[in-house]
Amino acid sequence: MSLVVIGLSIGMLLFLLAAGLTIIFGMLGVVNFAHGALYMLGAYVAYQIVQWTNNFWLALLFGPCLVALVGGLIERFTLRPLYGRDHAYQLLVTFACVLVIEEAVRLVWGVNFRAMNAPPSLAGTTEVFGSIVTDYRLFIIAFGIALSAGLFFAIEKTRIGMIVRAASSNSIMASCLGIDVVRLRTVVFMVGTALAAVGGAVAGPLLPLKLGMGSTIIIDCFVVIIIGGLGNIKGAIIGALVIGMVRALGQQFASDWINMLTYLLLIVTLAVRPEGLFNRRGREA
Amino acid sequence: MRTALIAALALACSGIGLNSANSQTPTAFTIGGVVPLSGAYALLGTSMQKGAEIAIEERAKVLRVPIKAIWEDTETKPQTSVQKASKLLAGGVSILFGDGSSGQTLAIMPLAQQRKIPLLVTTSAADQITGANRNRYTFRTSSLAFKETRMAIEYVKKAGLKSVYGLAVDQPVGRDTWNMMKAALKELGIQSVGEDFAPIGSQDYSIIIDKIGKSGADGVFVVTTGSDTITFLKQAGQVKLNSRVPIFGTGFLDDDTAAAVGPDVVGVKTVARYHFSYDTPANKRFVEAYRKKFNEWPNAYAGHAYDGLIWFFDVVEKVGSWDVEKWVAEFEKSSHPNSVFGPAQMRACDHQAQGVGLWAEAAKGSAPYPELLLKVTSTFPPDHIYPACPN
Amino acid sequence: MRAAALVLVLIASLAAVPLLAGAGTIYFITLILVWGIFAISFDLVFGLTGLLSFGHAAFLGTGAFVYAFIMLAMPDQFLLAILGAIAAAGLLAFLSGALALRLSGIYLSLTTLAIGELVFYAASSPMRALTGGEDGLAGVPRPTLLGHNFSDDTSFYFLVLFVFTLIVTAVAILRESPFGKVLNGIRLNEIRSEQVGFNVRLFKIIIFVISGALSGLAGALLASLIMYVNPQSLHWTTSGDVVIMTLLGGRGTLLGPVIGVAAYEVLKEVASAYTVHWYGILGIIIIFMTIYMPTGIRGALDVPIRWFKGQRR
Repeated sequence: MSLVVIGLSIGMLLFLLAAGLTIIFGMLGVVNFAHGALYMLGAYVAYQIVQWTNNFWLALLFGPCLVALVGGLIERFTLRPLYGRDHAYQLLVTFACVLVIEEAVRLVWGVNFRAMNAPPSLAGTTEVFGSIVTDYRLFIIAFGIALSAGLFFAIEKTRIGMIVRAASSNSIMASCLGIDVVRLRTVVFMVGTALAAVGGAVAGPLLPLKLGMGSTIIIDCFVVIIIGGLGNIKGAIIGALVIGMVRALGQQFASDWINMLTYLLLIVTLAVRPEGLFNRRGREA
Repeated sequence: MRTALIAALALACSGIGLNSANSQTPTAFTIGGVVPLSGAYALLGTSMQKGAEIAIEERAKVLRVPIKAIWEDTETKPQTSVQKASKLLAGGVSILFGDGSSGQTLAIMPLAQQRKIPLLVTTSAADQITGANRNRYTFRTSSLAFKETRMAIEYVKKAGLKSVYGLAVDQPVGRDTWNMMKAALKELGIQSVGEDFAPIGSQDYSIIIDKIGKSGADGVFVVTTGSDTITFLKQAGQVKLNSRVPIFGTGFLDDDTAAAVGPDVVGVKTVARYHFSYDTPANKRFVEAYRKKFNEWPNAYAGHAYDGLIWFFDVVEKVGSWDVEKWVAEFEKSSHPNSVFGPAQMRACDHQAQGVGLWAEAAKGSAPYPELLLKVTSTFPPDHIYPACPN
Repeated sequence: MRAAALVLVLIASLAAVPLLAGAGTIYFITLILVWGIFAISFDLVFGLTGLLSFGHAAFLGTGAFVYAFIMLAMPDQFLLAILGAIAAAGLLAFLSGALALRLSGIYLSLTTLAIGELVFYAASSPMRALTGGEDGLAGVPRPTLLGHNFSDDTSFYFLVLFVFTLIVTAVAILRESPFGKVLNGIRLNEIRSEQVGFNVRLFKIIIFVISGALSGLAGALLASLIMYVNPQSLHWTTSGDVVIMTLLGGRGTLLGPVIGVAAYEVLKEVASAYTVHWYGILGIIIIFMTIYMPTGIRGALDVPIRWFKGQRR
């Protein structure tokens, strides 16, 4: 049972990242390679806020807002000129953004490792089914559930969510109906970026802050959103949990095969059900 | 015309080469530095550079000409290492210095052999560098995995552990080190209760940590590098693993990584490849100069870079000429009585330097020292911890 | 045959390089030529047929490793090693293509990425006894052909130049051939091509295999040049590099990919000499070029050339 709890926490962290990525793809049709770099930026910014205020919760609240601004700039100046062009160019430009963001982080924070610790309220441990699990991991699970519920509710049940969904499936029609699709895209990108930054802030106490921390996790994110279905939040949650469990089981029984298993799973999914578990098969651009 | 443009482009490219014409009479002693200044090992490379700078400043001249260093960023990629090393060798350097990861160093060793230019290794720890892959022109003044593993084995004996769990990074150095430990444990009649190989860059060790905790082992031997060490120790610290199953490892922890883990790192034991607190006159002098220039405490990469280069400069001065073959012959039998570690001796059989081994424990520090740092708890004499000389 | 004259001049100037340049530059240009072969092969799938493969490094790396295995075991079997590399990479391309080409668009790209990663992890971990794991295999010998040993960088340069010339010629012919025209048609409108009666699936697989096989050849030459091989050549960043270089140089053109390789490498060299932050500057340059020069350098060259010739549009 403890395996499940730990697998859940691994999955939830992945979900926080994957959610933003899948939303951006759903709305903008862009595979945002810069997502990992924004996650890293989120972690570093959160670290800095903690350094200044010694308050993790402030960092969790305000860090993502700051990073979202960066995301807005990226969308406005690098992606907006490229809509309507081949996807390859969007991929390329987000790739290039990674280089710029990494260099900026290096300029500000240097090459040394940075440390961020869990807030004192979450520094303890609890015993769950015979294994010791940190309170912080339980927090991640709870936070992940709350966030996914919130996102789901926002997209499915609110007016703004309806507008986003409409603009995603048919932007021309939505724009005819008076929706400012151009500005909406920027907003959605900023929300996606904020989610990546939240992921970074949450991951900070668990993982070392170092340059390049984004590139190791971005590939996992791709796996999650492909399995779940591009653009699909429900799919992202399930996909993240699946990958989380695969990794947990892998660590339990065959730790050196974790990566192979993950990619085999991905390839099987692409072979059998490429649109993901939750999407409907449609014509692809 | 398009053709003219393309031709001009090709010629322009070749024009770059006109700058790299060789000079026959050396007007400077040139160190070709191939180190990772970006990528995963950027910290290593930048530290090596800093340590080297201190050495160059201290000596300023060798063979009556100024010492110069040309630095090339190998991006933590062996292919780039080979490319940059080839470029430096083609441009003419007196010695090659570097590289960062063992894979990178192994990749450039054949080049040094081919061009007959000495390669000074002060960081990479893979045994093959002075073992199966050794060559006449490669010298290593820093430690190797074998030595560090032997020290860990000595620790196991001294601490009287009855059972050990193994966690190693899924890379040749990780597996080889654990296999060596396992064999030694077997010989000593100590149980190895479990093993796990985690891929490099693993984000989560919680299940493995859980397994270790439940295994009832007396200690867990960890062979990880850089950020994986931090991830593991952080996550292990959150469940206070060290208080139930003592954590020890070979060269996986240093001041920088200890600081990144946080207070939970206190009590973890490790081989210390170098420490700024080690009390020798050379080390004191180096640390002072380093702190003055960079306003921080030097780490192992800086310390070994400094030490290795000073040693090499001494060798060259002793030879007194530009004959590379004489440098090699002198270096392989030389000793370095005033290294930062005290007396060190180069082994002619494999070009591996021999010196004391430092065993340390992570502890809290007080100003002006960093908050968290390694404290050297014992020193191992060089006998018994180095591999036997081949043939 | 203006293209032929152009290529001839290019080859001639390249052949003259060793007379003018130092050893470092010769090595550098050899590297550009080898990567140029990789980029040209990649562009057969990307620029000509319109399929964004994000896992082409798998073919480069497989070719490199197979070449290394054979050469380390039998240093005088250069031709066998090259053929082995081509065959292995081609086979892998066939298997990947069979899986990936059933999909299109972003799914195709992600599948190739996934396959590439799988090969990378396979080489790094379970097959580490064979591949040397992360440390790779050092000391891959230079070829010995017709009694001549190519350890000298200058003679190796000419060998690579020879192969490069062959490849460029072959690809030029392929692009102009009916086969190449069909591929271009598939890129422009796949459904229409299918309706006209071409077996689109078959064409895609064939070009994928050819592209993979030639990438394997590039991999073998790379292993030979740096005398080393390791899983880094299989990593997705290597796949990403070739996409960037091809786009920068100009996709869908004969020499665009090579120009892209040259520009990228030269840019890196120049920038890294000035600052340690060259990666960031490179990123900014790529962003600018992507937005303002979508046809790449090669495309941008068209404008002054047309003006020079007095043509409009």
